[in-house]
This record gives sequence, structure tokens and C-alpha cells, in this order.
Amino acid sequence: MAASFTLRSAVLRRALRGACYLHNRSPAAPGGVAWLRFVSNSAPQQKETVISESTEEYKFVERLIPPSRVPDPPKHAGPTPSGWVPPADSPPPLPYMIRRSRMHNIPVYTDLTHGNRKMTLVRKVEGDIWALEKDVKQYLKEVTGKELPTQVNEVTMTLKVKGHFDKELKDWLAVKGF
Amino acid sequence: MLRFPVSVLSRGIAKRFCSAVIGEGTLPPNLLLPSNLVDPTKLKRPPPTADCSLPLLRKCDAVVPAHLSPVQTWVETLERTDSEPRGLAQLHPDVFAVQPRLDILHDVETWQRNYKRISHANTKVVSEVRGGGRKPWKQKGSGRARHGSIRSTLWRGGGVSHGPRGPTSYYYMLPMKVRVMGLKVVLSTKMAQDYLHIVDSLNVPTPDSQYLLDLIRHRHWGESVLIVDVGDTFPENILQATANLKTVNIIPAIGLNVHSVLKHEAIVLTLETVKFLEDKLLWHDQRYTPLHPFKLPYSDFP
Repeated sequence: MAASFTLRSAVLRRALRGACYLHNRSPAAPGGVAWLRFVSNSAPQQKETVISESTEEYKFVERLIPPSRVPDPPKHAGPTPSGWVPPADSPPPLPYMIRRSRMHNIPVYTDLTHGNRKMTLVRKVEGDIWALEKDVKQYLKEVTGKELPTQVNEVTMTLKVKGHFDKELKDWLAVKGF
Repeated sequence: MLRFPVSVLSRGIAKRFCSAVIGEGTLPPNLLLPSNLVDPTKLKRPPPTADCSLPLLRKCDAVVPAHLSPVQTWVETLERTDSEPRGLAQLHPDVFAVQPRLDILHDVETWQRNYKRISHANTKVVSEVRGGGRKPWKQKGSGRARHGSIRSTLWRGGGVSHGPRGPTSYYYMLPMKVRVMGLKVVLSTKMAQDYLHIVDSLNVPTPDSQYLLDLIRHRHWGESVLIVDVGDTFPENILQATANLKTVNIIPAIGLNVHSVLKHEAIVLTLETVKFLEDKLLWHDQRYTPLHPFKLPYSDFP
């Protein structure tokens, strides 16, 4: 503790000395150009300070500028730590297609309105949405045993199912390869 | 019921003019068709097949999803009136073959009309109408109805109680992605209706407006044409040719908007415009939510 204190004070003293030395060295320049000329004539070993621009340090600024695009996820060999499943390389041979969201996730979301109305929403559907509705109904009947009411919106190409089934539907779609 | 024989006109026109009530393929007896009637089904050039001999002038730069295929179109020239297409171009399906969302088109079109609107309609309230501070006659005894001022709402010349108040602004902004989707939908619908034409460059041989009109009429592009190009300078000839024409207009690619595209019947894009539009419109599908406004620098801004 005492050793570190002395070391710190020695460092401080050296720093102060250095600052004073620099302060004494920097020219006060009372006469401006005349003084510089006097300095150059009298002390030729002192170098003239030239202002130069350098763009090499800009790379430190460039690496701080953020990207605007979501990067592609890296290739994982085997299961991922978070449980994320990448889409299949070729689209599955089904009459419908479900694209991934911009963060590469499956677009199945839950909704809760009026405090007690639970819904599951499947977005980003392309192709035959009625075939998807039939498959979803059949799968959920196997899982729950009930015929669940669904709503197909052909304009926005979305499918709503009554109840919270996002985990089951996400796993089912991931297994299918979407 | 009398059956009218189908006339010598082509099947396309017959299909369009028959009514569901009478029966398929019958024309009404008092039908008067103009002599210069054009049948679009006969004149449309069919879309390019896979075994076409013309060179592929443009491929998609961005990655096309595996379940979709690029849209193939002809690339034409404006140099001669009756020239054949120069080549083929591939367009990205996420810009030119999007689902036809008419509700988004309606939203974007109404937004374009209303967000600039400031209505200056203004009426004066009772307190603002000149005069009317004094009670016109005494409360009781005159036999007339009781009134407090001659400028109340009940009086002729009085103030308006619930009228328009001052300049009102109808400004609102649709989300950026909705406006981008509007542009994609409008380009896709023009593509699907065969009203979108790709041209390799806008070099016209003469600054004559009549040449352009003859070219448009020969190729049956439509009544009005919107020409879009990238860059701040256009060839002088096309600028002079379109300067005096009301139905043929030229705009830079940054000025492309849903209202202008819907106002004109046909759209003409150059190959550079297609590249620019694809870059800008596809970026919105894979961008982050903005960390800071897009005017400030990002490392890979399109």
C-alpha cells in the first residue's frame, strides 16, 4: 500500500515536471512572424512545426458507424444454444410458403385483446393459404383434441387461430423446413 | 330467345361486350363500334419464353428467394419507332411481383393527397363578429323575443357556432414501410397489367414531340406515359420532346410516387432506374429499426 502510494506520487511528480517542461518549451510568440524568423536565424537546430492533415486515423471513426442491414446468421453445425433453427436450404414442396422475418425468425406471434382474448397470428404467408389453414387445424387437433376456430385474411395473407399456440406452431413449421 | 350470331370481330372484343344476362358470345343489336377500335389482346407482345434468342441484358443484383423466380421482360429502345426489343431483363420478384394490395395503394394515395393539405376555411364565432355588445331591447315589455346581442348564432349576420376554425392541417405520416410497400405494389400492378416498359436508354434521335407521340401510338403503350430515369441530367432531346406534351412526362427516379404512376397509364423505366429502385426498395426488407435518423451516416446505407 505504501509502495503503491510512493509509486503513484513519483509518477505524478514526473507528469507535473513533464507538463511544466512542455509549458516552458511552447513559444509565447510575442512578435509573431518576426519572432519565428528570429528563432530560425538564431537557433537552426529547432524544427518548424508544419500543419499536416492525415486521414489515416479516420478508420477509428469508421468502425464506430453502425451498419443498417441485418447480417445473415452464421452457419451452425448441430443445435444452436438458443434453440434457433435455420430454414431449410431448399423450400419444402408444399403449396404454401412462410418466409422468415427480417431477424430470421418464424413469423408466429401471440396476441391478447380485451384482457382475455388469446390469439395466435401466422404472418408472411405466400401461396395457398387455405391449404395451410387445413394443415394447421389438423395439427392442432392432434395436439389439443379440439377443433379450433381460425380466421384466414386473404388480403393480408395472415392466419389467426384462437388460443396461444405459438410454441407448437413454431416447432411444427421449423420441422417442416420453413 | 333470339340468338344473335357472333360478328366478324375478334373473340376478345366479343367477350368484353357481351352481357351475362343475354348469354355468352352474343352482341347487342344496336352496338356501334368505332372503326379504329384496337383490340389489346391481339397487340400485346407475349412475355418472353425461356428459349428466346435475345441476350439477357440485366440480371438481379440482390439474392432472389429460392421459392420465387425473377420476372422476365423485354428491353426496348426509343431510337426507332418500329424497332424490335433489344434484349431481356430480369427483375426482382420482391419489387415487381408483389401481392396486389389495393388497400395499401388506397392508403398511400390518400396520404399523398392529404398530408400537404392545409384548409384555410375560417368562420367567425359570436365573439369575433363586429358589434353585438349591447342588449338590443329590454328584457321584458317590448313583446319581442328576448335577446342579448345582435350577433348571436340565432341572428342573421351573427357568428357561426360550429364552423371551420382557422387554418387546419391534415398532416400525418404513414409508416415508412407502408409507403415503400405502396411503391412496390404499384410497380407490380403496372407490370402485371403490361403497362411497364423497360428501355435501355433515353436517347431519342430528334427533339420532336410528334416523334414520341408516334412511337407511343405505334407501340400501343397507352394514352399517357411516365418516363423515369436516374441521375440529375437527362438527354436534351427527350427533355425538349416532353416539355410541351401534357400526357408524356419525365421524372427522376427519386421523384417516383404512387400518385404519379397511377395518373399515367404506362411507365417507362431505364435499366439504371430498375437497379436504383431495386437497391432502395429491397433495403427496407432487411434493415434494422433506425438507431439514429437515416440522414446521419450508416456504414452500408444504399
